[in-house]
Amino acid sequence: MLIRRLWLRDFRSYGELDLSFTDGTCVILGPNGVGKSNLLEAIGYAAQLDSFRSAPIDAMIRRGADSAVVRAQLDRNGREALVEAEINRSGRNRVLLNRQRLARTSDLTDVVLVTAFAPTDLELIKGGPGLRRSLIDGLVVSMDSRNEPVKAGFERSLRQRNALLKQVRGRLDTSASATLDVWDHQLADSGERLSVLRQGLIDDLTPLVTKAYRDIAGYEAEVVLHYASSWRERGLKESLVASREDDLRRGVTLVGPHRDDVTISLGDMPARTHASQGEQRTLALALRVAGHRLLAGIHGSSPILLLDDVFSELDDNRAEALLASLPDGQRILTTATEPPSTVHTNQLLMVAEGTITERTL
Amino acid sequence: MAGAYSEAIQDLIDALGRLPGVGPKSAQRIAFHLLKVDVDEANRLARAIVRAKERVRFCSVCFNLGEHELCEICSDVKRDDHVICVVEEPRDVVAIERTHEFRGRYHVLQGAIDHLQGVGPDQLRIRELIARVTAGGITEVIICTNPNLEGEATALYLSKVLDVPGVTISRLSSGLPVGGDLEYADELTLGRALEGRRVITGD
Repeated sequence: MLIRRLWLRDFRSYGELDLSFTDGTCVILGPNGVGKSNLLEAIGYAAQLDSFRSAPIDAMIRRGADSAVVRAQLDRNGREALVEAEINRSGRNRVLLNRQRLARTSDLTDVVLVTAFAPTDLELIKGGPGLRRSLIDGLVVSMDSRNEPVKAGFERSLRQRNALLKQVRGRLDTSASATLDVWDHQLADSGERLSVLRQGLIDDLTPLVTKAYRDIAGYEAEVVLHYASSWRERGLKESLVASREDDLRRGVTLVGPHRDDVTISLGDMPARTHASQGEQRTLALALRVAGHRLLAGIHGSSPILLLDDVFSELDDNRAEALLASLPDGQRILTTATEPPSTVHTNQLLMVAEGTITERTL
Repeated sequence: MAGAYSEAIQDLIDALGRLPGVGPKSAQRIAFHLLKVDVDEANRLARAIVRAKERVRFCSVCFNLGEHELCEICSDVKRDDHVICVVEEPRDVVAIERTHEFRGRYHVLQGAIDHLQGVGPDQLRIRELIARVTAGGITEVIICTNPNLEGEATALYLSKVLDVPGVTISRLSSGLPVGGDLEYADELTLGRALEGRRVITGD
C-alpha cells in the first residue's frame, strides 16, 4: 500500500499543501514544532478517519478556519483510490472514496491501512488497559473489515445501556427493568462475539510479538499476551445480571469487554511493573511490528508505515534492528535529527516553519 | 457567517436549517429561492404548512397521521382486524402500504427505544399497543421496526411485553433486495439473508 500524493487545506499548521511521495523510505526532517507529525497525522486520518495521536477532531482544523480538508491519492497493488475527507468544526464530517460518499468507515480498511509508531507508544506497556484494548480492537477491524459491525454494535449497545442506567437513577420500574433486559441481551450478544475476535487475534499475535522482540532486542525472550477478562468464564449475560445492582447504583456498566485488559509478560514477569525502561520500549515496538506483520501477511501487502519521531528514543543498534525487522513497503518517518546512517532514504523532505522543500539525494 | 444577512433573512435561514436533512448551505439556497419567487408562491407554501399543522393530527387508535379522529386506514371497514403491523414512523406506514401486500391494521410507535436521545418505552406508544392487543381479537402482531440496533432492541422489548396467549408475534425478515444481484449485496445483508433462509423442499 502506498500514498502517492497528499493535499491539505487548513489542516493543523498547513493552509494549503500539495505533496508527492515516492515508494520506499521517506524521511521528513526538521526542528521540533514545525509540523512534521501533522503530515503523518493527516495520512493516518485519510486511512482511519481518526488521529493516531488521539487528538480531538477540532484540534486538526487550523485556527480560525471552519473546516479542514485531507485528500490522499492511494495505491494498493496497482489499484488507485482517492480519499477525500472534510473535517468540520460544526456539523458532520464528510468522506468521499473515489468521489462516492463512503458508506461505512470500514470500507476504507479495504483500500488502505496504516501502522503508526508514536513516541507515546511506551504507554502501551506502562499505561492503562484502554490503549491495549484499542490496539487489539484496531487490529481486529484492520484484519477483516467485516468485524467492524461487531465492534460498533457493542459500543453502541454499551452507550445505550449506560444512558438507560443514568436515566433511571437507581429506580427500576417494570418497563425500565424490561428495557434493561433487552440491552443486556444485545450487549451480551455483541460483547461475546467481540471477545472471541479479540482472543483469536491475541492468539495469532503472541508468537509474532515474541519473534519481533527477538529481532529488535537481539536476544531470545518469551513474551506472552494474555486476554484478561473478569466475565468470560461466567458468560456476559450472567455477569451483567450479577452486576445489575451495582450498575444501577453507579449509573454505569461495570462489567464487560470495555473493562478487559491484555496483560503482557516478559519472561514470566508482568512487563508493566517488572520490565526495565529499555525492555518496555522494545516491547512497545515489538507490539507494533507484530501487528504490522500480521496485517501484511493477511492482506498480502504492507500497510503504510508511519514512524513518528521513533529514533530519538532508540540507540543506533536498535533503530537499525527495528528497520531491518519491518517488511518491505512504504515508510514515512519524521525526525528532528539526521536519521541513523543505516536508513536507506528514497526521499528527503525538509520542513521549516510552514514550508516543505524536497532535497535531492 | 452570522451577521452577514439582515435579521429577517437570517431568521428564515436558521428556521430552514433546523429541518431534517437540510444543512446550512441548502437552508441558504432555499431561503434565497423563496425571496426570489413571487409573493403568491411563498404564501402558498406558508398556507400549506399552517393548514397541515391545523388539520393533521395523530389517529387516536394507531397514531398514524390523518385529518380525523381515526386515520384513513383505521376507518376502512374492509381491512383485517386480526393483524397489527407495528412501525416506528408514519412514513413506514406509507412504505408498507405501497407493497399492497398487507391488509391489516397499523400501530405507529412514533420512534424506537433510544436512550441516547432520551427515548425509552414510556415515550413511545407502547402502552397503547399493549392495550390494543390485550383487548382481544388480535391473532398476529408483525413487528416492522428498522433493522438497526435501536429497532432490534425495540422489537425485542415488544416481544417481551406482548406475551399474550393466542397472539403470534413475528418480525419482518432481513434479506436481499428483489431484482438485485447477489454479488452487490453487502456482506451484512447477505449474512442475514442466509440466516433467515427458507426451505423450498425437504423437512
